[in-house]
Amino acid sequence: MTALASLPLLVRVLRSPDVAGELSLDQWDLLLRQAGAANLLVSLLFLLDDAGLIDTVPDAPRVHLEWARLAAANHARGVRYEVARIRAALSKLDVPLILLKGGAYAMAELDAGRGRLFSDIDILVPKPRLGEVEAALMLHGWASTHHDPYDQRYYRQWMHEIPPMVHVRRGNAIDVHHAILPETAASRPDPEKLRAAAVAIPGQDGLWMLSPHDMFLHSTVHLFSGGEFEHGLRDLLDLHRLMRRFDAEPALWAGLAPRAVELELERPLYYALRYTSRLLGSRIPPATLAAAERGRPPAPLLALMDALFMRALLPPHPSCSGRLQGAALFALYIRGNWLRMPPLLLARHLFHKALLSPRAAERA
Amino acid sequence: MLTVSSLTPTQLRARLRGPGLDFQTGPFINRLHSNIPHLADGLAVLYGEYPLHESGGFANFHLDLSQPGGLRRWWRPQVRFDQDGQHPFKPLPVAQAQPFCEWMMNWCVSNRAHGYLIVHAAVIEKNGRAIILPAPPGSGKSTLCAALVCRGWRLLSDELALVRHADGMLVPLPRPVSLKNRSIDVIRAFSPDAVFGAIVHGTMKGTVGLMRAPADSIRRAAQVATSHAIVFPQWEADAPAMLEPLSRGQMFMRVADNSFNYTLIGAQGFETLAALAQRSAGYTFRYSKLEQAMEVFDALVGNPP
Amino acid sequence: MHDARHPWRVTEGQMLRRCEWDDEVVLFNDLSGATHLLSPTACWLLDRLAVNPDDVPGLATALEAELAAQAASDHAGNADGADSANIDHALLAELLADLHSLDLVAPC
Repeated sequence: MTALASLPLLVRVLRSPDVAGELSLDQWDLLLRQAGAANLLVSLLFLLDDAGLIDTVPDAPRVHLEWARLAAANHARGVRYEVARIRAALSKLDVPLILLKGGAYAMAELDAGRGRLFSDIDILVPKPRLGEVEAALMLHGWASTHHDPYDQRYYRQWMHEIPPMVHVRRGNAIDVHHAILPETAASRPDPEKLRAAAVAIPGQDGLWMLSPHDMFLHSTVHLFSGGEFEHGLRDLLDLHRLMRRFDAEPALWAGLAPRAVELELERPLYYALRYTSRLLGSRIPPATLAAAERGRPPAPLLALMDALFMRALLPPHPSCSGRLQGAALFALYIRGNWLRMPPLLLARHLFHKALLSPRAAERA
Repeated sequence: MLTVSSLTPTQLRARLRGPGLDFQTGPFINRLHSNIPHLADGLAVLYGEYPLHESGGFANFHLDLSQPGGLRRWWRPQVRFDQDGQHPFKPLPVAQAQPFCEWMMNWCVSNRAHGYLIVHAAVIEKNGRAIILPAPPGSGKSTLCAALVCRGWRLLSDELALVRHADGMLVPLPRPVSLKNRSIDVIRAFSPDAVFGAIVHGTMKGTVGLMRAPADSIRRAAQVATSHAIVFPQWEADAPAMLEPLSRGQMFMRVADNSFNYTLIGAQGFETLAALAQRSAGYTFRYSKLEQAMEVFDALVGNPP
Repeated sequence: MHDARHPWRVTEGQMLRRCEWDDEVVLFNDLSGATHLLSPTACWLLDRLAVNPDDVPGLATALEAELAAQAASDHAGNADGADSANIDHALLAELLADLHSLDLVAPC
């Protein structure tokens, strides 16, 4: 089991907000720096708010948290506005507008969305309609990025999204996905199934989101098949908060593992349940854990993944870096891309990315 | 309250290399780490009068300006800014450590301190009336600010005007005044008593000299001030010193344009700026001779000539 | 091009904060987070459209009536300097197009 005392301060507070009630000033100093590095400062603020602890925070750190609150309020407004502009741009197309990730959490006012800052809006559309969607967005002021022909082909041919588009006037970005994993990946969760199960966002005319299971599973894919872990702890916290929606009724927990099987996502589900419970102490019904065992990797691989993920999911702050963290992150980056692309393509891609597309690094 | 000058040079360097130097500027506590000796010397000159805090408490901003190890140590040595393991800016030649430190301290405030509307402006005060001088580079704002400060005006800030949301008061952040190129000589001639840190050549802004803030301004850093006027200065060869009234609407938009976080904080930014604009008279100001400028500003706050 | 007889309305869900000094109005749009410096006439149009979507001829008539009422109560004459009758429809359409580009109004 994870030795609690050895976990970084931020992780201990996320597991158990009451810990924050007993911190010294220098511990607050460290906590806020870890939270800032993990992009969780505002989430921490709301966690303390919700636990009724905000008034116990000493003045100096309290001021810092209140600074962050101001920026967060405007972020929420910005998301609503951006989503409204996207809906207006696509209104004539009769394509259901399915929001993914942060955009969905925010518009549905989910707990997972509180205090969560992000910069891109992600949407899911049917692959055959991609051309029309892209054209409609361009008509309303969005322009494609990644003009290097290689990057363009990388996205369009191999990835599950077109290159990100940025609005020329507002500067906000939109990622248009047609699936949640690339066609070249080992698992192929059927986007048709995701769309069929999508639910309307309450109170938001014409906006949709993935079903509670699919939203959770998508988040596992993002974290456990992706290559970039700068937001690893934040993504893990998303999972921790998303899974609480299943407490609403037993059928939800019971249906999680079967849905993962249906979408070929047993492995990411296994990792998600394993690392949320280990790092964040997430409460998961034993029956669900048992059902998720299907996705357990062979022992040597699991040992390696434990070593890698338990490091990569810590706050990206010098106070939390073991000697191995850099190596862990790099290894996971390679693995992430391997899961998405067959080895030959991967080698070619990394080679090309390193030598010919320095600008692509900005996207990371 | 202990000040930075209470440390011996050895103690100062030890703090910078070790637990960090915790010193206060305006309402903020900065924790600075550095292994660069001439930066320590520069701090002793420019920051001697600033409150010193015990190590190991809470600091608002954490800055590490050090020379990285490796082969570059000997050939074109550099100073790198590190904050929590991140390096958001490119390293600079090590000779530029002091101005780099100033720019990074400004960056920390403008990036985070959203409890204030932060305007890129100088703020000075006399007779209980503060004047905000917003200005893009090249307007002569810092020269004007330095001159006023040398003539008895209190320095609230050279670069960052902090407007408190709750009551619209201006919160002081007195720090060295940053002068460039010819302005350094102009101010030295204008006020031979002014104390400068080392002059640094070849920065991206040219030659930079940091003028120490007056001790009195540092001592009064806790005293907020009421905004009386917002003046947009523009130095122009041979221009007689003259204030031209600016409509409040125009003033509002120009201040918003010169603000770091007006857009970021949304409605709060609008409310704070609206109250500030209501309370302050707006002007544009053309001048060429500092002495004339002094007279105009004195008259603006009700000083008899 | 927008047909002059096609009605306009304010953007749905819009909330505006404003400050007025002399002949200038600073407007903050709570939806978009943008800030604008507008004339009192433009603000009057926004207020009117918020209650009553209308087309260019309708707005011109209402504006003429408003200016006439102001001229009557303000013996020194018309603040905007415009003729109290005969609002130029083309200029009004241009103003609405400008407001549209700022996302403040939209065609019905």
